[in-house]
Amino acid sequence: MNESAQLLELRGISKWFSGVRVLEGVDFEVRAAEVHALVGENGAGKSTLMNIVSGIVAADAGQMLWEGQPVRPRSPRQAQELGITFVHQELALAPQLSAAENIFLGRHPAGGGWVRWREIHDRARELLSGLGHNIDPRRLVAELSLAERQLVEIARALAFRARLIIMDEPTAPLADRDAEGLFRTIRNLRERGVGVIFISHRLKEIFQVADRVTVLRDGKRVLTKEVASAGVDDLVRAMVGAELSAHVPPEAAAVEGEEAIRVEGPVSFAVRRGEVVGFAGLAGAGRTELLEWLFGAGKQTGQIFVNGRPVTVRRPLDAIRHGMALVPDDRKAKGLVLGATLHQNIALASGRRRWFIRAARERQAAGQLLGELRIKAAGLDQRVLYLSGGNQQKAVLAKWLYAGARVFLLDEPTRGIDVRSKAEIYDLVRGLASRGAAILLASSELDELLRLADRIVVMHRGRIAGELARAEATEERIMHLATGGVQ
Amino acid sequence: MSVAALLRRFGPLLGLLALCAVLGTLSDHFLTFDNLINVFRQSAVNALLSLGQLVVIITAGIDLSVGSILGLSCVLVALLLKAGVPPALAVLAALAIGGALGSVNGLLLTKLHLPHPFIPTLGMMNVARGLALVICGGFPISELPSGFRFWGAGSVGWIPAPVIVVVVFCVVFHVFLTRTTVGRDIYAIGGNPQAALLSGVPVDARLILVYALSGVTAAAGAVVLAGRMNSGFPLAGMGSELDSIAAVIIGGASFFGGVGTVGGTLVGALIMGVLRNGLNLMNVSAYWQTVVIGVVIVAAVWVDVVRKRAAEKGRAAVN
Repeated sequence: MNESAQLLELRGISKWFSGVRVLEGVDFEVRAAEVHALVGENGAGKSTLMNIVSGIVAADAGQMLWEGQPVRPRSPRQAQELGITFVHQELALAPQLSAAENIFLGRHPAGGGWVRWREIHDRARELLSGLGHNIDPRRLVAELSLAERQLVEIARALAFRARLIIMDEPTAPLADRDAEGLFRTIRNLRERGVGVIFISHRLKEIFQVADRVTVLRDGKRVLTKEVASAGVDDLVRAMVGAELSAHVPPEAAAVEGEEAIRVEGPVSFAVRRGEVVGFAGLAGAGRTELLEWLFGAGKQTGQIFVNGRPVTVRRPLDAIRHGMALVPDDRKAKGLVLGATLHQNIALASGRRRWFIRAARERQAAGQLLGELRIKAAGLDQRVLYLSGGNQQKAVLAKWLYAGARVFLLDEPTRGIDVRSKAEIYDLVRGLASRGAAILLASSELDELLRLADRIVVMHRGRIAGELARAEATEERIMHLATGGVQ
Repeated sequence: MSVAALLRRFGPLLGLLALCAVLGTLSDHFLTFDNLINVFRQSAVNALLSLGQLVVIITAGIDLSVGSILGLSCVLVALLLKAGVPPALAVLAALAIGGALGSVNGLLLTKLHLPHPFIPTLGMMNVARGLALVICGGFPISELPSGFRFWGAGSVGWIPAPVIVVVVFCVVFHVFLTRTTVGRDIYAIGGNPQAALLSGVPVDARLILVYALSGVTAAAGAVVLAGRMNSGFPLAGMGSELDSIAAVIIGGASFFGGVGTVGGTLVGALIMGVLRNGLNLMNVSAYWQTVVIGVVIVAAVWVDVVRKRAAEKGRAAVN
């Protein structure tokens, strides 16, 4: 096969949704054996463009060429038959079936009505090891880690003879080390001549894995470049159309507030008012468990002191009454009632001591928060389901600001959200700290910790492996501790 | 408000009015004052059960025991009356018994961590019905005092007492669900129990309350029914749990939780009452009535699904 052959070519793709133009004359192409990164803020049109390519929605104007031939896939099935597979952010696997069964789901090799199990398992093992991993194809998907599940999904794409694989933020739920493994898999795919469209909010990854990058903004293509000749600043500027304040690191300041929260037990530490303490660690190091325990949503494994006094936190309501707030790692599953309105979500953690809702007062306060946090929404009665990831995360924060929280437990607060919202959340976190809030920030993104935290606690296997002041923290030292190294 | 939102809000009501218009042209008797009052009276028990069922379904739950709780309360209230307990006290006792039985459902669900409300309420459905039969030996307890029969058979002016009971319950439940913090908690639990818990909603306590309320409305239904029939009979309310679920769903609530209104549910109960009444007037056999009700339930939910799909498409757009 000609290595530089054009696999997919889109010409002048436009799409309207109820009168709003979401894509405007977008050109885009992917070559065989190319990893093409697609970036843009939420709402820039990435998902819509990929939905058109994979047959989920139809374009209103423009042409799609597959190996030079005009095509118009009308369903994901038709796109798959062409060789286009979309690996969605929420993986579409059946957890109670084995890895092998999932790989061949819907097209088991069979003869005379009987499933040929041996062949299924052999071919699944072959596909998985071909991707450089040894997952037992008989294991249930429910038992596999997220990274392994992604691999199963990719193997499934290959079993369908995929020539183009679209990955929508595949690294968002992964720890850095698992992401490395995924990048190896992607390079492996490239060597086999498969084209990959890689959507990510983590720009650093694009430089690690992609050959070319295309930036969308407001439904238009603003840039396509060889990654080798692009810089982070180029991309950020193209995405937002302006420089962002987030890239100016905040001044380091010695924090001398009073102790807000202290924990004694298997894990012991204290956080002062006005301080941001980062929690680093690999996936499974126990950061989420720690924060959920502090918030009364996990097994109690130590004593908590708030403002110096011992407190009992048996359930989240207790934690909230002591001024705590949890921004959970998965905002859709744990942070928001998606079908409810912004107003209802913002008010949910407040006013529980009262019988009747004070709607007018709530609406006024919530409206104010909408403005302060720059939440883009049609109004307080918009359902949060329809908001972008960044705006959803701000809604979670608004809920806690309205509840008057003073100790913020933030678990991956910027996971899967666009650059602009990220910067705004950074500003918000620093602003909260400067007004005396205590902040516990768990993050898998080291540069986020280095940018925001006054000091960084590194966790390893449920324990604290070490602590680094901001001045002495580097990515290398954090990773050293996180992987079990000694301080 | 957009057309879609208006349709969502008033869809069931439009359905009810259309149904009445059709039945009015098909039968001369349907749109008479006496007949409509009759429809209201006949719908009262189902409307009461549906209110409790609504609150349960908003939490993404289901209560299969309301018919049996109605039966057991029916027998117990009759026994109390026969023992000489004053009617007012007997009514309060019946409501308390219903609430207690309902809260057992809630306790089983939350404290034994049973996987789905289907299980405890299915258990209670059998237990309560069995107890009702055991207590009275299978025989109805008839000839109740007239002060009690008022709740089922009496009226104030031209308004039947059961209708007054339903209106009072509707107002209380509407205010409870829309104006109180506990009501908001209940919608949040149905929308996302995990997020509700992490926002400080005492989920277990709320669920116990929800099933207790369902027991209370079932007992209220028992009082109305026993009053109307002048008898506490152990098989009262057989199958009525399914009618109440149907009314709630026709009224626009979602089995997935987080959605549902008192107004919609009342309309749902009336649609079922009007259908039965209209079909009776047209001499359609009871067997065929059951078929029609079944079709209406599926059609009502199908309309909801179509509407949701349209909304989903609109959303795919934005992202």
